[in-house]
Amino acid sequence: MKKKMNRRTFLKYSAAVGATTAMAGAPTLLRAQAPEIKIASIQPVTGVISDIGISMRRGNQMAVDDINARGGIKSMGGAKLRLLLGDSEAKEDVARSEAERVIKDGAVTLVGPFLSGNAMAIATLCEQRGVPFVMDVAAADDITRKGFKYTFRVFPTTTKFADSMLFYMDKIMKEKNISRIRGVVTNTGDLFGRVQGATFIKVLKEKKFPIEVLGHIEYPLGIQDLSAEISKIKALKPEVLFPVARPGDAKLMIRELYKQRVELQGIISPGSPGWYEPEFIRDMKVLADYVMDNVPWYNPVGKMYKEVNAAFAKKFPGKYIDTNSGYAYLGVLVIADALERAKSTKPDDIVAALKKTYLKQDLMVGLAVAFDEKGDNINADTAMIQIIGQSIKVVLPEKAAETKYVYPMPKQIWDRGA
Amino acid sequence: MKIIYSLLGLILLILLLLPNFVSDYILGVFVLIFFYAYMGQSWNILTGYAGPISLGHSLYLGIGAYISTKLAMDLGVTPWVGMWIGGLGASLIGLAIGFLGFRFGLKGVYFVLLTIAFGEIGRLTALHLKPLGHMMGLFVDFKPGLANFHFRGNLPYYYIALGFMVFSLIVVRVLEVSKWGRYFVALREDEDAAESLGINVFKYKMIAIGLSAFMTALGGTFYANYIFYLHPTSVMSMWVSIEIIMRPIIGGIGTLFGPLIGSLLLTPLSEIARSYFTRAGLEGIHIVIYGLLLVTAVLFFPGGIFSFIQKVLKPILGESRES
Repeated sequence: MKKKMNRRTFLKYSAAVGATTAMAGAPTLLRAQAPEIKIASIQPVTGVISDIGISMRRGNQMAVDDINARGGIKSMGGAKLRLLLGDSEAKEDVARSEAERVIKDGAVTLVGPFLSGNAMAIATLCEQRGVPFVMDVAAADDITRKGFKYTFRVFPTTTKFADSMLFYMDKIMKEKNISRIRGVVTNTGDLFGRVQGATFIKVLKEKKFPIEVLGHIEYPLGIQDLSAEISKIKALKPEVLFPVARPGDAKLMIRELYKQRVELQGIISPGSPGWYEPEFIRDMKVLADYVMDNVPWYNPVGKMYKEVNAAFAKKFPGKYIDTNSGYAYLGVLVIADALERAKSTKPDDIVAALKKTYLKQDLMVGLAVAFDEKGDNINADTAMIQIIGQSIKVVLPEKAAETKYVYPMPKQIWDRGA
Repeated sequence: MKIIYSLLGLILLILLLLPNFVSDYILGVFVLIFFYAYMGQSWNILTGYAGPISLGHSLYLGIGAYISTKLAMDLGVTPWVGMWIGGLGASLIGLAIGFLGFRFGLKGVYFVLLTIAFGEIGRLTALHLKPLGHMMGLFVDFKPGLANFHFRGNLPYYYIALGFMVFSLIVVRVLEVSKWGRYFVALREDEDAAESLGINVFKYKMIAIGLSAFMTALGGTFYANYIFYLHPTSVMSMWVSIEIIMRPIIGGIGTLFGPLIGSLLLTPLSEIARSYFTRAGLEGIHIVIYGLLLVTAVLFFPGGIFSFIQKVLKPILGESRES
């Protein structure tokens, strides 16, 4: 049946159109009255890792809101920041296209994008267009080795991960008067596991670090039984286990170490997500205690962390500032700080200001944000976290530590009455 | 026919002059339109004209991209030369897959499975090869310059992508009216009948897959030097293959303008939907809308939009056009 357009339907439609236009148009008119600086957040808010993307976008947005609430960019007459939103869908071509769009819409600086590949696509585009880009999270070393002038990174690089691990191990060994550790490295057979495991061993060898690797054991991701691997480990008699694991095999490993009564002084991961996931601690209870992991982390004793986390939890019930949303927040602070000092929105002025950044912060573990000539944050750092009393505590560096690390483990896994 | 050629000439002229009137962003959207139209057209040669359905074309894209990029990064070979070597490499792999498939008479879904399997083998192999960047992927150095295929603005990319697209149109048009093209269509329509008429089925299918793989790989070089990052998941995975075939399916499989029309429709639609709905609280709505549009297009234009346009234009132009 064909509907005819009569006077009544015409009025109805035009009213609807009018209302929509008014709704869409009004905020623009209001906003136009105050000076405003546009920056853009490009995160993977849809696609395979959308939960991380959304969390990072929230971190970016909350930082913008907080800066505006504190009076905006004061050196530019209290100009308010406005965050343009982009969605990379976790794809490189989309990331590039979205970056191009927000630049067209007037973004003077970009922040994002969690994935290193997306970061590379955006960084190259920013170099082509001459627009500053601050990477909040993205670890691959290569991005900042391309001689980009407009790209900066707040997050620690992959190399920094390994360096920090050795730094913390060195500290533990010195404090405990240990001259040599005999260890076994394990990792899952997926690419993340392989790269992490192999990089750790490579760095140990290169630096001639006094950790002797008795064995390197690899098992497939999603393995259902680790008994053979753990028997091998037991036979090698290591003092410390250095496992790169995911939550599933982390649990299997602890259970098997318990069953086979493997004697260890410590379980210290060079950096893997298996050990700090809530489900691991929930399921393993006391058995999870004393495991250490080397990861970028928020600074639990920091004043800024406490404030931001409280506000974040209030705004998004059930959510807390974690590594990703924390760095997302910090990324925007870095941009605002540069704008404040640049007193201008010209790309070259912002870049000059970014280069001179010295932003004190205690939101994330690591010192004040400052960039080297490549654009990497020289003070970005990882933390050594340890599960103590079934909750995660930062134990190193001391400045951010909630408590002292416990090493060697005071009680073997099977000896904990579980 | 004259009317159509003059119309096409006019459209080309408009496209050539377009960069004077639009921003870098719009140019970027057009780059993607042309790129996907080109990739779709390359796939169209095999599946649209000759018949065997391939769901593994990302493999050739990846091979082309990796070969030309590695040649450029390690040996300093300009991508303008590397792209042809990449094309040959992909063509060889395509011929090998074709040999396995066609020699043993794999048809329908079985050939589809073969292409998927080889696509996955390619992706996993690339993932584990250290020289290709391992898990981290390959980060392409940005060295602006014509010889390096790297440019600051979108303008050169626009013209190159337009050139690629026009090139593919010409290739397919020449093919359409040539003996090869007629044989391809005969194979697609009825293989047994074609064979009984004396067409060497194996030979012409091999030609189709070799040519299709070669052209897809050339597009891979463009992708590498436009995006500057290669990772097996983002150039060789299944969803890339699907992205490639989506345009010709919507536009019209086995037609000259199908891939271009499909790309002209889908690429801006996804861009507009994303830019409009990418705001807090509406995450993902654009994908739902895009999906709904796809379903609508398939429902209302099952033969592709180009066939529909042909039907509409027929009485106006008064001529039949071969497809």
